[in-house]
Amino acid sequence: MLTGCAISAAVLSLSLLAQQPPPPKETKEPTEKEKEEIDSGIPIASEVVRKACSPCHKIDEKQRMSRISWRRTTPEGWEFTIKRMVELNGLKIEPAEAREVLKYLANNLGLAPEEARAASFEAEKRMIDYKYADKDTNEVCSKCHSMGRVISQRRSKGEWELLVAMHRGYYPLSDFQAFRRGGPPRTEPGPDGRPPDNRHPMDKAIPKLAEDLPLKTPEWSAWSANMRVPKLVGRWTFTGYQPGKGRYYGETVIKPGEKEDEAQTETRYVQVKTGETITRHGRALVYTGFQWRGRSFEGSTDKEGWREVMFLDRNQRELTGRWFTGGYEETGIDVTMARVGSDPMVLGLDRAALQTGGVRTVQIYGANFPADLAAGAIDFGHGVAVKRVVSASPSLVKAEVEVAKDATLGPRDVSVAGVVREGAAMIYDRIDGIKVKPQAGMARVGGINFPKQYQQFEAVAFHNGADGKPDTKDDLNLGPVDVTWSIEEYTATYDDNDKDYVGTLDSNGLFTPNVDGPNVKRRGNANNVGDVWVVATYKTPEGKVLRARAHLLVTMPLYVKFDQPEVSQ
Amino acid sequence: MKHLKSINRKAARIDRQADVVALQQGPPQQAPAPHFPLGCTLIFSPGWEADRNGGTAGLCTPVERDLFDCHAGCFWPAQVPDQLNHAPDWTAKCASAQKDWRKIDLVFP
Repeated sequence: MLTGCAISAAVLSLSLLAQQPPPPKETKEPTEKEKEEIDSGIPIASEVVRKACSPCHKIDEKQRMSRISWRRTTPEGWEFTIKRMVELNGLKIEPAEAREVLKYLANNLGLAPEEARAASFEAEKRMIDYKYADKDTNEVCSKCHSMGRVISQRRSKGEWELLVAMHRGYYPLSDFQAFRRGGPPRTEPGPDGRPPDNRHPMDKAIPKLAEDLPLKTPEWSAWSANMRVPKLVGRWTFTGYQPGKGRYYGETVIKPGEKEDEAQTETRYVQVKTGETITRHGRALVYTGFQWRGRSFEGSTDKEGWREVMFLDRNQRELTGRWFTGGYEETGIDVTMARVGSDPMVLGLDRAALQTGGVRTVQIYGANFPADLAAGAIDFGHGVAVKRVVSASPSLVKAEVEVAKDATLGPRDVSVAGVVREGAAMIYDRIDGIKVKPQAGMARVGGINFPKQYQQFEAVAFHNGADGKPDTKDDLNLGPVDVTWSIEEYTATYDDNDKDYVGTLDSNGLFTPNVDGPNVKRRGNANNVGDVWVVATYKTPEGKVLRARAHLLVTMPLYVKFDQPEVSQ
Repeated sequence: MKHLKSINRKAARIDRQADVVALQQGPPQQAPAPHFPLGCTLIFSPGWEADRNGGTAGLCTPVERDLFDCHAGCFWPAQVPDQLNHAPDWTAKCASAQKDWRKIDLVFP
């Protein structure tokens, strides 16, 4: 009864409120700071963007569009937003039009190279350890997602505030999970004697973000004035490294695409370990004058292809980045492409290190090597004699080298026909130890409903260096070695026998996780998740057995994937 | 351990483990800084990819038992589709995730 009365009272007061004329609107003059922020907005010159976005985003007298003009980000960042507008805000847009909007926004409200490089791990989908300098901001954001999403954005202060407000609106629990402080305010002064900072984490993060990642930066001013469509057509060398597969050397030919900022590619490279030649055809787009986004396919049966994310250097002579594939983009090649001119180029050797004593044939990969290359034109430095050139083609030289027993240990520059590749070969006398890389791996169960996330491990040999002690700065990295792989239990819970359920490790160090879903054979129908040690065992030529291990976390799938693959189309 | 003899069941369980590095790390309050790969969720209890020790022992498993609560409550907005906005009909094809988990869709927002 009481509740009924309360409801009728509320309805009555609401209807009364509805009858009252709306209060007169207060027109408040913007403060100096607000004016400055409004002035910082970037005008939108594109008719397509204006047409697509103006139903919701107001255009002012200086052609600035609400919200859009006060933010800069990567192509992936803009695509995120466009997709959200389609999904949650009722935007109707054709794919071709969306691509044009995305291109305009990424080019004109994008990031400068210095800004984008700091966040390159996000676009390149690298699983690295990253901690943002400000602890509060790091915690507020990374409780749900990677900090890479944050540091690939630049916004005005008002925009950062609205971004946090958007998160709080769409995900109400985020207040409790990350944005607001739990528990009563602290009253005790801090260790410095000052009163405690009782601001909510989000209130500490916003000014920090506005200060660290502002809309207006000298980097963007300089780059946006200087930005142009790069001329990439021509021959490029291709150097790649894929964990578990080793080194790749080859060449990419870039041809013009349909539009000025588009390219078609043909890449042919050799996997040094197996001698296999791989050919990929692809296409790519260059955003903001330096951000390469492409996709390439190996033969006609490759439907998915590999995505390519690379950065072009200022001189337009080098592209560096990662080509990747997989359910969680976990398989990838670190790629460097360099423009081929008329001079010889040395890319690297077929191996990382050369042991002292003995004669062996090494392969040197490069470009424009002279046909009549003499042994004297190849130099590994003191103590390494080049006995003869076995064969020479413009891109590959095979040479017989003898490393003296007393050759000085350490990295050696290798020069061919007067061109030097720094640190191309490591001279060592013995293997002191091995390490497993990565030291902490992660895989996700899958294969039935969701994709598997694989984890490739590698065992790298080390020499202790001049000080004779392991794990010091002067250790010499001798590159990957072939080892025997095994899985051992990481005992975090008694008798859970994770190693019997999580998956398998092949002879090349590739971990394949088990299937997703509950496992009736496990206690409590648990999933096939768990922690294990991945153990590498290596027998040196002298008969010594070396052992190293890494932690592997085999964990849950992701049921939602905020990925932006269309930027390469 | 060879000079010690286990006299209760817990000690016997420790005895059976060849390698007790992980056990030495717990309980959570004394754990060294665990390794959380980039993009992993850090703190919610339990975590999605890793628990507070950086392992899987504290995770909610089987995840299907709790999945629809996560969906309805928008508890893991970057890991599970949220019912409030992105995927209101995500659970339409299966009444119980633990039974019909094969029907769950991967959502690309």
